[in-house]
Amino acid sequence: MDCLLKQAQGLYNSRQRATIATLTIIFTVVFYSFYSTGIHGFGATPPEWFPAGWIEIFEVVASLNTVAFFLAFSLIVFAYGFWSWAFFPSPAVSYTEAAFRGLFGQNVRIKQNIGKRFRVFLESGSHIDVRCRIKEASSGDWFVYRFTSCPLTGNNLYSIALRHGMSSKNGRFTTWIGHDELHHRALLMAKAIASINPAS
Amino acid sequence: MADDDTLHTVYELVQLMSSLNETRRAILLALSHVYPRSVSGVQLSRLIGYSGKSRSLYRGVLTHMKEDNMILIDELTPRLHAIRINSEHPLLLVLVELCRKYGEDTSKIYAKALEE
Repeated sequence: MDCLLKQAQGLYNSRQRATIATLTIIFTVVFYSFYSTGIHGFGATPPEWFPAGWIEIFEVVASLNTVAFFLAFSLIVFAYGFWSWAFFPSPAVSYTEAAFRGLFGQNVRIKQNIGKRFRVFLESGSHIDVRCRIKEASSGDWFVYRFTSCPLTGNNLYSIALRHGMSSKNGRFTTWIGHDELHHRALLMAKAIASINPAS
Repeated sequence: MADDDTLHTVYELVQLMSSLNETRRAILLALSHVYPRSVSGVQLSRLIGYSGKSRSLYRGVLTHMKEDNMILIDELTPRLHAIRINSEHPLLLVLVELCRKYGEDTSKIYAKALEE
């Protein structure tokens, strides 16, 4: 693995640990503060056949505190989900941009969007959308990229896509790429897009 | 072999093969040599000397290659998959032809590895 990506991997691991630790502390504080202020029930009465000891538990569970706690908990889960969607370590950004700059020239316009997405503008006026997964959950592979071209028109898209090791979906070329193929397959993608234009 | 169309296809095949990473390249070479046989995930990971689990190979690289129409995966049972090269792919078709014509000795090595 490229040393920039190794750095990014280390950074991701340590940041992930820090984030989980922070959220755990927040979880504890939230749990404490919601149940230490007194229970506010909303008038639900436990069924009569309940054993005596369980009635108190029922009062705690069926209360506004629990509702609020679950709201807070889902916010915490959402916060983690947002973090893991948006966070992209800067060495990985440099690696990705360097690959495209090396290929399309230093002045190529690259727009980075939140959520590990890039858009590379080619000279011909077309663009390539690039999405990165830091760690693929299903296979455990690090830094897997997904290329999607801009919408294209032409009647031989499918065969052009095949000839460049890609597939075509809804008039776009798409392909999955490992981090060590980024440079060469971006070249193939650009070549594939260029080879359409004369035909259409 | 000398006509222009074939040379063009061979050029594109070389370009494609060199753009792929080690694992994908090894998969395509192994599958095109054992064609028309299909192999299971475990067999394939042994053929290409993959050190990780065959399940992660299947869920990662193989799924992506299937989406790019390079290989075909038949699900025999939920746990057993038959993996073979897509011989209708315009470039890989040439690779398979090349392997059948000139790769007899290599195919024997792969076949022997599969039998064990």
